[in-house]
Amino acid sequence: MKILVCVKQVPDIDQIGVEEGAGGIAVLDEFKAFRMNRFDEFAVEEALRIKEADPFQDPVSIDVLTVGPERSEEVVRRALGMGAQNGIHLKTDSDAYLSPAVIAAGIARYAAGKNYALILTGSLSEDGMHGQVGPLVAGHMKLPCAIQAVHLAVAEDMGSVLIAKEVEGGVRERLRLRLPAVVAVQSGINQPRYPALSKLLRANAMELDRVELAGLGPAPMHAAFTGAVFPRRSRAGRVLAGTPAEKAAALVATLKEKGLLN
Amino acid sequence: MSAIVDTVIVAQCANGRPEKGFSDTLAFAEHLHRIQPGTFILLLLGEDAAHVGGEMAAAHGIDVVAISGAGLVPYTCEAYRDILAGELLAMGPTYVCTPQTSQGMEWAPAVAAEIGADCLNGIDAIDLVDGRICFQKDLYGGKVKGRFAPAAATTLITVPPGVFKREPRSISASGEVSTKHIDAPLEATDTLGIVPSEGDFGDIGAANIIVAVGNGIGSEENLVWIQRLADLFPRAAIAGSRLVCDRGWLDYQQQVGVTGATVAPALYIACGISGATQHRVGMRASEFVVAVNTDPGAPIFNEADICIVEDLVTFLPLVLLQLEAGERA
Repeated sequence: MKILVCVKQVPDIDQIGVEEGAGGIAVLDEFKAFRMNRFDEFAVEEALRIKEADPFQDPVSIDVLTVGPERSEEVVRRALGMGAQNGIHLKTDSDAYLSPAVIAAGIARYAAGKNYALILTGSLSEDGMHGQVGPLVAGHMKLPCAIQAVHLAVAEDMGSVLIAKEVEGGVRERLRLRLPAVVAVQSGINQPRYPALSKLLRANAMELDRVELAGLGPAPMHAAFTGAVFPRRSRAGRVLAGTPAEKAAALVATLKEKGLLN
Repeated sequence: MSAIVDTVIVAQCANGRPEKGFSDTLAFAEHLHRIQPGTFILLLLGEDAAHVGGEMAAAHGIDVVAISGAGLVPYTCEAYRDILAGELLAMGPTYVCTPQTSQGMEWAPAVAAEIGADCLNGIDAIDLVDGRICFQKDLYGGKVKGRFAPAAATTLITVPPGVFKREPRSISASGEVSTKHIDAPLEATDTLGIVPSEGDFGDIGAANIIVAVGNGIGSEENLVWIQRLADLFPRAAIAGSRLVCDRGWLDYQQQVGVTGATVAPALYIACGISGATQHRVGMRASEFVVAVNTDPGAPIFNEADICIVEDLVTFLPLVLLQLEAGERA
């Protein structure tokens, strides 16, 4: 049984510096550090768990794929280091913004005819936060899909997958989807493992399947990213100054003033 | 220069009422049409769509296509994709808008891919930039807002709750209702029922003061500072971002955010919470917000009354000292 896990390299969001420019535009510092999209770690781990549970007649093989520039190969290697079998890099030639429409069309074209029983993605990316790639791929490939999965269990005959989805109000919906299917997993579905050093070293030496994204076909028509603006403050946003002790005193004084300490 | 655009609002109805997000989506469509005039219709799905559709047509002066049929209830992505891909392909609207729910976010991108349309989730502003409509949404955890100019023939948009407000509009005449019965037999989906929530977020929902913690806590041991701070306030509760609950440091019943609770306490103290969009949605109705974070660019600071750029692990003990000294005085 073949599983495809889609992962994305994102800049470390906490380390991104932003400043307000003229006319309210947002000026972003150059990105210093990159890592695997946190939400995709859960998808890789879930594939590994399915493989390790393996009551299936047909052994499970995990392919991991990323769409992005040269540097994003690193997240494929990390997933290989976690335990995936094969790595695929759909390479873009620039660092420019990649819309989910372009990413998903590429993944669907690559995956066509490759006989994946299950395609897993994270629920959204930390940078674009669109949350669409899973269902978009399902739409292109005419496969059933589910998002926000908090539990997955592939049936022993590999014909279907049992899913629990997290919906509004803490309610869970249970359903069974016929395979092949696309599932976007929710964060917290599992505890992603750290790759063992030995596995990472082996992963760094592995051959990846490298494909030029543009060669797979033209991008579908999609909204153009026209720029970033600085978010408007919705509140006073008074920044406390001074030493930490002075800030603590100022905070307590304000809370007392507002009658919140009674 | 304004062009006539066609917009289809897709919403569900049940028990004689449209879904909760319908009002937000209608407000979005109205806002869009104030900027770029056009016509919009409502595509309403549900067992009682004809009846509810009639009420919507009269109340809002819009035409309604009311769709009922086998396979629509309970919701399945498969049935919605089946029906909506067909309907939307036939209608060919410029925009399709629907509430940003766990269902909308599931079927809208899938339908978009099937019909060659584009999809945008969570649009929270519409601007005219150089004469071009631009839709805005959060990027990079909410640190910036990204603008997107639609380019596909049809763009599906999911609308978040509480952002777009209705403005009074005079209704001259009731819209027309047409009804359709479409059966969507399920081939790939078995629905197996729901599991109700383990709680109702009652503890944090009732709290007057919430001390909330995020990834900046660093380790589970540091929760002690959060607990000690909460202990000093009457009617206080501890809450956390999803990340902290994913780690198992707090229970999901203590989660504030889109997939957790929406709270509105008198005081919300966000400690080590970056303030990604999904979390801010859950706490933005709080009366007074204090945020403590080491990152001066953390989006939580855009939603805070008081901003403290400090490490909570070193800062909270100082606050406790002050509070405890004040009590003794």
